[in-house]
Amino acid sequence: MQVPQPKRRFGRSGEGRLRERIEGVMFAAPAIIVLALFVVYPAYYTIRLAFYQSDYLFAFTGWVGLDNFKDLLTNSPDFLDLSHFPPEGALINNVKWIILYISLCLVLGLGLAVLTIRVRYERLVKSIIFVPMAISATAVGVIWLLVYSPDPNIGTLNAVIHGLGGNPVSWLGKPTTVNYAIIAAYVWASTGFAMVVLSAALKGISTEILEAARVDGAGEWNIFRRIMLPMLSLPISIVSVWLFINVIKVFDIIYVMTSGGPGTSSRVIAYTMFTETFNGHAGRGAAVAVIMLLLMLPVMVLNVKRFRSERVVS
Amino acid sequence: MKRRSWLVLLAFVLSTVAATFAATASSKPAARSAGQIEVLSLWGGAEKDAFLKVTAAFTNKTGIKVQYTTARDFVPAIRTRLAAGNPPEVAIIPRPGVLSDLAKQGAVKNLGSMGLTPSYVKARYGPAWISLGTVDGKLYGVAAKANSKTTVWYRPDQFKKYKLKTPTTWAQLIALTKTLKSKGQNPWAAGAKDSWTLTDWFENVYLRTAGPTKYQQLFTGKLKFTDPSVGNAIRQMLQILNNKYLVGGVQGALGTAFTDGIGRVFGKKPSAQLYMEGGFVGGIAIGDTNTALKPGKTINWFPFPTINKKWGNPLLGAGDLAAAFTDNADVRSFLKYISSGEAGKVWVSTGAIISPNKQVTGSAYPNLLVRKEAAQVKTAKVFRFDGSDQLPGTLADDWGAALQNAMQKPGSISSILSTFQTKAAKEF
Repeated sequence: MQVPQPKRRFGRSGEGRLRERIEGVMFAAPAIIVLALFVVYPAYYTIRLAFYQSDYLFAFTGWVGLDNFKDLLTNSPDFLDLSHFPPEGALINNVKWIILYISLCLVLGLGLAVLTIRVRYERLVKSIIFVPMAISATAVGVIWLLVYSPDPNIGTLNAVIHGLGGNPVSWLGKPTTVNYAIIAAYVWASTGFAMVVLSAALKGISTEILEAARVDGAGEWNIFRRIMLPMLSLPISIVSVWLFINVIKVFDIIYVMTSGGPGTSSRVIAYTMFTETFNGHAGRGAAVAVIMLLLMLPVMVLNVKRFRSERVVS
Repeated sequence: MKRRSWLVLLAFVLSTVAATFAATASSKPAARSAGQIEVLSLWGGAEKDAFLKVTAAFTNKTGIKVQYTTARDFVPAIRTRLAAGNPPEVAIIPRPGVLSDLAKQGAVKNLGSMGLTPSYVKARYGPAWISLGTVDGKLYGVAAKANSKTTVWYRPDQFKKYKLKTPTTWAQLIALTKTLKSKGQNPWAAGAKDSWTLTDWFENVYLRTAGPTKYQQLFTGKLKFTDPSVGNAIRQMLQILNNKYLVGGVQGALGTAFTDGIGRVFGKKPSAQLYMEGGFVGGIAIGDTNTALKPGKTINWFPFPTINKKWGNPLLGAGDLAAAFTDNADVRSFLKYISSGEAGKVWVSTGAIISPNKQVTGSAYPNLLVRKEAAQVKTAKVFRFDGSDQLPGTLADDWGAALQNAMQKPGSISSILSTFQTKAAKEF
């Protein structure tokens, strides 16, 4: 009696694997092509352009090697000014953004996520907080321009202050407050995202653990610190990476609100990239872009590593 | 997988590839049909509406349609479209410095060979306007509109109330300022957030303290910004632009945009009395800020006062130059129209501009504000174009930023100027 052979789908095994591979490549091909054309090629072009002086037509003219980078980091006080303490410049403004924007968004987002879970009108509150995410950064800038206007007849904030008997403050006209004012506006626009992601992650925590902890007598704050936070560490780091990339790229809200002023006190590196690129110094603009990429790389690598290790664990 | 599915997948992938290549490989500009041209400029709001009247008249006359594109950031807009090989047919550019850069790159066409011959142009424009659009002896831009920037705006009803007279000298202006302050009024508003308003202040003052020759040298790189005359002019203008006389103080002015500054003086709830900016303030104030304003009664202007008698009252002006990126029959027709007295009359009748065109008479102007301005431009003995608009590259924005810094730190003017001069030396 013959032993029934398992039916082979494609003839011999070698040919079958090859066909599978080709299928895989073909499914991925459209995405790979799009990525290559719109991400890989422009990235290569920009990185290469950073080593030239270039001109209005973004051509590879005037090889300067690392001079663009050297000039930006040592000879451009608008970009980086280390000559006195505290240091100033566009790069330092980005550092302020990194510290304040990310921490505020996370703290507010997490706080709101934890609080709204307990309320009956959770969906309403979350929708209201999320709405600013749907507005473009330019529109956010225009809205907050009206809020910060130094004329109490126009500016909401100053109308309140004036109404309470105080003197109007020019939030965007003072170098000491302008950066924080713009950061506040952008935090307003971004907290919704952090809140929604962290809220979803919170709901993924099994209620049994929380119940068990409560039965054991743990207070709410301890539950938050010792149980919720560690279980949220992956979503928090994902949100942080998204916020970090946002901060490195931030441009439009500053352009709309202050054009980098007063003077150059609210400039960020993306603004420098804009002015240099469109005023004939495309090479310098590209150098700023490369610096932005270098700043983002370590964060993204760390993030991918975390993803991989989390997958192994679970 | 079944054979048919394989073929479908293959076809899909190939078509995606083909489509992507087709979309990105074509370097030919999207051809606009004959009988249509695209004009790009920076105007929006009331200024844009005024220009659209002109293009409508042009279409009525010639049948050629005009598609107007607003680009407040016209420099990046033009640059990117040029790099993509898809520039507009015509761009009307308010900065001769930018036009000069474009001409030197060969991006704009020589208008002399497009029908705007020297004799044609001379019959319509004075030598100052012709030379503005001329680079290396060839004409690349023709003045489409102009405005005076030697205008200080005020409310005549308020002047009547406080029994004030319009000043003609700087000393009188300061006295007027002090009087207003003593009566509990905020004398001045400034839209210093838009740093170009500060450059206009500087240029008016510099013309009257250092003279027109030094002025032109300064803005064409022949005189250093560290020259003492520059610092002196800044200190002079800070006699007004300071915490005492500005509504909201220096910080308030730095947080106020150009149009909000107009609103401070001419809005429905005014909080200041005087505003220094160009002739276009009238059009914006009446058209956008407060339609109840009445020229002569609640809005008027007086010329920027003299400072050093030796330099008298030179006119600081600005204008927009029309340049062409393409040469074809429709574009030539448009350029001829925009440089004609006919177009000028239509445009000035909106009250938004004054025309540098010799063929536009005073009677074409609809209200006393622009009639006065046109007369001021026509009778000016000395005329200088807005300096910061003549600066190349990034300098125009950097100069505005430098003035904002000087306003905040009057004690550091020399170091601010020497930092700026280092930048300027690289660009010129």
